Amino acid sequence: MSLAGTTGVLDGIQAAAVPVRRRRLRLLPYALLAPSLLFLVLFTYLPVARVLVESFYDKPHGTGAATTFVGLGNYAKVLADPAFRQAAFNNLVYAVGVLVPTLVLALAFALAVQRSTRFSAVLRTVFFFPSLVPLVAAASLFFFIFLPRVGLLDYYLAKIGLSGPNWLGDSDIALWSVIGLTVWKNAGYYMLFYIAGLQNVPRDTIEAAMIDGANAWQRLRFVILPALAPTTAFVVVIALIQLLTNVDHVIVLTRGGPSNATNLLLYYIFQSAHENFEYGKAAAATLMSVAVLLAISLGSLRIMERGARGHG
Amino acid sequence: MRIGRLGLGALALSLASAAFPAWSQTKIDFFFPVPVEGKLAREMTRLVKLYNESQKEVEVVASYTGSYDDTKLKAQAAAKAGKPPSVVLMSANFNVDLKLSGDIISLEPMLKADETTREDFLKDFWPALHANATVDGELYGVPFHNSTPLLYYNVEHFKEAGLDPSKPPRTWAEMVDAAKKLTKGDRSGFMMPAGYDYLGWLMEALSLSNGGRYFNEDYGGEVYYDQPSMLGAARFVEDLIFKHKVMPQGVTEAGGVSTAFFAGKASMVLLSTGSLSFIRENMKTPYDVAFVPKNVRNAVPIGGASLVMFAGQNEESRKAGWKFIKWLSSTDTLGGWSRFTGYFAPRKSAYDKPEMKEFIAKNPDAKVALDQLPYAKPWFATYQTVAVRKALEDEIQALMNGKKKAAEAVKDAQKKADELMRPYAETTSLKLP
Repeated sequence: MSLAGTTGVLDGIQAAAVPVRRRRLRLLPYALLAPSLLFLVLFTYLPVARVLVESFYDKPHGTGAATTFVGLGNYAKVLADPAFRQAAFNNLVYAVGVLVPTLVLALAFALAVQRSTRFSAVLRTVFFFPSLVPLVAAASLFFFIFLPRVGLLDYYLAKIGLSGPNWLGDSDIALWSVIGLTVWKNAGYYMLFYIAGLQNVPRDTIEAAMIDGANAWQRLRFVILPALAPTTAFVVVIALIQLLTNVDHVIVLTRGGPSNATNLLLYYIFQSAHENFEYGKAAAATLMSVAVLLAISLGSLRIMERGARGHG
Repeated sequence: MRIGRLGLGALALSLASAAFPAWSQTKIDFFFPVPVEGKLAREMTRLVKLYNESQKEVEVVASYTGSYDDTKLKAQAAAKAGKPPSVVLMSANFNVDLKLSGDIISLEPMLKADETTREDFLKDFWPALHANATVDGELYGVPFHNSTPLLYYNVEHFKEAGLDPSKPPRTWAEMVDAAKKLTKGDRSGFMMPAGYDYLGWLMEALSLSNGGRYFNEDYGGEVYYDQPSMLGAARFVEDLIFKHKVMPQGVTEAGGVSTAFFAGKASMVLLSTGSLSFIRENMKTPYDVAFVPKNVRNAVPIGGASLVMFAGQNEESRKAGWKFIKWLSSTDTLGGWSRFTGYFAPRKSAYDKPEMKEFIAKNPDAKVALDQLPYAKPWFATYQTVAVRKALEDEIQALMNGKKKAAEAVKDAQKKADELMRPYAETTSLKLP
């Protein structure tokens, strides 16, 4: 995203520059990019390439067999693995289940605290606080909140005469408990982007809508939300990446259980590689996840660019 | 942060080489996990320092490497990067897999160099530990600390329910009977941890107590899930939840079970003997411990860790590592570590020492745990240990959530486990002339 932005700006500079200085300037962007490109190649693209190669090979654990080229065999194996399919399905439920409430909450928070008064500054801090807690620490906290019968959640439910389920131990509920924790953790963070986005919504458009007699809901629906589309696209990309790459809480709370009910793709990959000695399968699953992420990012970037052109 | 640590390491290295002439000493890496708490890491560091000061030939660099799982991961990563640790304190049931993957080496050459035999070397270790120390008839690990499951119960609850706290349930029938009397309101008569790892261990305890074997101790390609002993154990768990209603539905992790026990929400719990010190320090009301109740016979699985050596080190480093292992697994070191941690000392001779006798006299709960040790059996360790264990755990968790019946659960677990072990079976027992 930042790369695309940078080159775009530099293209602009180039177009405006006088022809004599053109060649030197054409090298300049690459020179500027070189340091980050070097690190990207070393620590991102090379490992990805290695994983790609590894995904075509298989070395059966503990049988003394040599490493053999299996083509797409690892991919077929992964796709046929019910545990992978469940992890993928869980990840989908998890992504949608987190994304929708998080976005709604983040926008609601942002609308509530966008004016800079002393009170809203306090509220911003309150809403933002969960983002400051590391995910591992948050998960450890929620372990005690979710404890059946003795946990904080059940303690308060008991006060109003309700008894809670086994939050993390019931296979129908566990994933939703993990989703709840993630919404709590992320909403405040995305609020920041929406606050920034709201500053860019043209005041005169809103005022024009008010003069035309649009009520608060109509202003939100027809003026503010469309203007926020690029922000939303950006937040969706970041959120999806986070939802696929953060499994700290799963490791702390359930390790994918009960019966794989909270197993997510990244944790499945971890299990394949480090518990089951199936490096080829882990590599194939990694690449498939990366491909999905890439597709989502590209799609959203396109939406974002369109949005930026439309409203910029 | 990694760079910082590297920098520190380099600094330490240069300092160390300045302080000690390199030619007189062999420097070796030792990775160790601490499953319980930071206190233990300090004690281990103290022991290593003691060893380094006691002699001049070997200098051990001890690294604390997190949990059992993390330690396995880090040791394998270091080996892949060409810097294998010499000695690792490894969860004892990883030995089969690590031998098969070629990560750890046989200790037989060291025994030969010492002019001793495996039988002689293992003689002083509790018999139940021998199977986990050997793979395919060769010594691969030296037991260091061990545990078994144990029944903990709330003495006050027993009195309230009209039960005699000096007569804890000895059989499954007595346990169900007691649990029914103990269950009241939101208090459960019985609870057991059912998260991954712990559940497999406890299901082994229940199937062993039911006369079963769980896995083939001599051959890594066989487990006994779809057998009467495991079926009975699974049905017992199912009945505790749905028929007798003395255990809450669903999965509770170990932390949830011990918290429920402390809070008086569970009257009897199955937990590790390794939790003895933890329970002793945190339980506010009187409690006592007893053997794991039996249906057919008294039997519990061993858990714990042993010292292994990694492949890829040179002769000199191997010799130094072995020397360190022998010191760390000596009667005195093991005894001291056992008293400090609450784990068993794997050597029988550790319990003949006066300081150990005094300790046992002072802690009667440790005595019960020790008395159960002669009934201990090996810890499951197969080809693909973790995945094969998980095959059963996923099914039992489904059963605990009311999604499956016992018969179906053990059948599906067996099918999955057989699939997982198939590649190994095909290159061993199914490979015919």
